[in-house]
Amino acid sequence: MTEAVLSAPVVKPAPDRERLAALGFVAPSVLIIAVVFVLPLALLLGVSVLDSKGGPTTAHYVRLLGTPYYLGVIWNSLRLGLLTTLIAFVISYPAAFALARARGPLRSALLATLFLPLAASVIVKAFAWTILLRSDGLINTVLIALGIIEDPIRMIFTQTALIIGAVNIFLPFMVLPIYAVVAQLDGRYAEAAATLGASPAVVFLRVILPLTLPGIIAGVALVFSLSVSAYVVPTLLIGEKYPTLATTIAKAYLLARDPGFGAAAGVVLLAIAVVVVALSTLLSREPK
Amino acid sequence: MSEAAPHLVISGVSKRYGAATVLERVDLTIRRGELVTLLGPSGCGKTTLLRAIAGLAPPDTGTIALAGRDVTHVPPHRRNVGVVFQNYALFPHLTVAGNVAFGLKVRGTPKAEIDLAVRRALALVKLGHLGGRRISALSGGQQQRVALARAIAVEPDVLLFDEALSALDRKLREEMQVELRRLLQEVKATAIFVTHDQDEALTMSDRVAVMNKGRIEQLAAPRELYARPASLFALNFVGLSTRIAGQVVGAQDGMVEVVTPVGRLSARGAFQPGASVIVATRPEQLRLGADAGANSAAGRVRSVVFQGSRTLVDVDAGAGASLLAELSGREAEVPRVHDEVRFAWPVAETFAFAAEAAP
Ligand SMILES: Nc1ncnc2c1ncn2[C@@H]1O[C@H](COP(=O)(O)OP(=O)(O)OP(=O)(O)O)[C@@H](O)[C@H]1O
Ligand SMILES: [Mg+2]
Repeated sequence: MTEAVLSAPVVKPAPDRERLAALGFVAPSVLIIAVVFVLPLALLLGVSVLDSKGGPTTAHYVRLLGTPYYLGVIWNSLRLGLLTTLIAFVISYPAAFALARARGPLRSALLATLFLPLAASVIVKAFAWTILLRSDGLINTVLIALGIIEDPIRMIFTQTALIIGAVNIFLPFMVLPIYAVVAQLDGRYAEAAATLGASPAVVFLRVILPLTLPGIIAGVALVFSLSVSAYVVPTLLIGEKYPTLATTIAKAYLLARDPGFGAAAGVVLLAIAVVVVALSTLLSREPK
Repeated sequence: MSEAAPHLVISGVSKRYGAATVLERVDLTIRRGELVTLLGPSGCGKTTLLRAIAGLAPPDTGTIALAGRDVTHVPPHRRNVGVVFQNYALFPHLTVAGNVAFGLKVRGTPKAEIDLAVRRALALVKLGHLGGRRISALSGGQQQRVALARAIAVEPDVLLFDEALSALDRKLREEMQVELRRLLQEVKATAIFVTHDQDEALTMSDRVAVMNKGRIEQLAAPRELYARPASLFALNFVGLSTRIAGQVVGAQDGMVEVVTPVGRLSARGAFQPGASVIVATRPEQLRLGADAGANSAAGRVRSVVFQGSRTLVDVDAGAGASLLAELSGREAEVPRVHDEVRFAWPVAETFAFAAEAAP
């Protein structure tokens, strides 16, 4: 009622001029996006359908999607992405609440433990894990010294090592978006739900979870697209035994000198990430 | 249960946060169907008391009984109270209808029944056409109504409003006050409002509890609260008044004689001779001219404020004392600024309060 009264006398500029002005403002960023993202993407797509003589071909895709070995590679990437995302979520969700609830120096300390690792290169962190997990590494040395085990446990170059490393390295990208939403969450929603008869479990399922969903989806999209395409982490923590799309792409370019196949693998990897991000955006859309 | 039976009984409720005592032995009994306002300045513990009733902040000591059941330590979701929060706390991820249905859904009410109750609650607040709307697409007044519908839909034993109207602009707020009172009476709701707006308290409630520093200073019907304030605090907090400091020189039968800078005044009150008191009366009790057997004081008119149906006259009575008189529009003679005037007012409408309680 009052809003109508307030907004009525405002003279609106002609819609055409408004739109033109808006276009002027976004034009530079559109240009940058076109040059930096669209152009390389077009090149990648182009190369992926060229054979070694420069003629058109679908052979790279047929090889990638038609050989059991490469299907296994795709599955390895997916598995790495899914497991990392799932475990990171299970750890991050309660962690984000703890972080939001912490006060004073504790909160600063917790945030620092999340942010500081982001300053170190992923290679350094992956190497750190190899030092910890090696047969003559820190963990085995300590366990043997304490007499808990006699022979070193095989940890490095196992899938366990891979997942532990990936979860550790990508964890901040799950915690931070969830924390950002949880920190903004008004405690009165939970109180209102409780007074309406919702038990704590129901408050969580019907109010807290839906209201923090945007943070969850952002975290899942980030961690999945990072871990599904991870290169350094699988290379250092498991190696040849666990070929992924990312390591396959590297091999195609660096060893096999087969850019067409590498590009096709890149397109498949990109497609997987795009599907996941698109699904997340769809899920996070507000109800009508 | 009869209409007059106690419905909500709060006895000896205290609450401290750290070293601060926020509620101090609060007693309050509310009948079924009664509309009661907690009125008091910021920080006096109104919200805390409301939260104690809702189960959101259980008291340290004392008991709370609702509809014949001791609920002191019952968690909020098993209490059957309805709360309308200051900023409404409507669920942004649900539609208007989804918000109103929430309480019934979590109670496991059958869907057909929920639909009916939601439609009825929305019709009651005149929002039947907006059930499918998102919360963010509502005006403040509409959100206020949705919050009310959501709280009413579960048919709570008591409805609690924490400054529920304060976010609305003045005109809408005044409309809502009248409408809300009518609506709550229609559904025979028992309700407690929290406000620091005295007009809202007087308009909306059957009884007003004036709170100060964690205590209830006075619990009375609006008319009585205005005419017979129990303390200087209650006098100051509700309505305007003339207040003159003085010393008791004589006392008998609940009346005192007080020497003040404007002369000897008689007032209701029980004090020992020698006590320092504040003598007070309401502005509409003052009449122009002298009157034997009544209190009276003279002075020079400082200001005259015309307010439509009434005119407020402020008189400098000397020695720092001032008189505030309210003359109704029908009165023929209204003094002008700088006029020398004398006002008289009935002894029965003059009160003495202990001076040290002055805020
Ligand atoms: N959770 C809390 N922890 C510590 N102190 C609190 C807490 N809640 C309230 N208080 C204190 O208790 C006192 C009463 O607070 P309360 O919210 O009940 O006041 P109020 O009468 O509702 O005031 P207002 O009109 O400003 O809303 C205040 O001094 C406040 O600072
Ligand atoms: Mg309050």
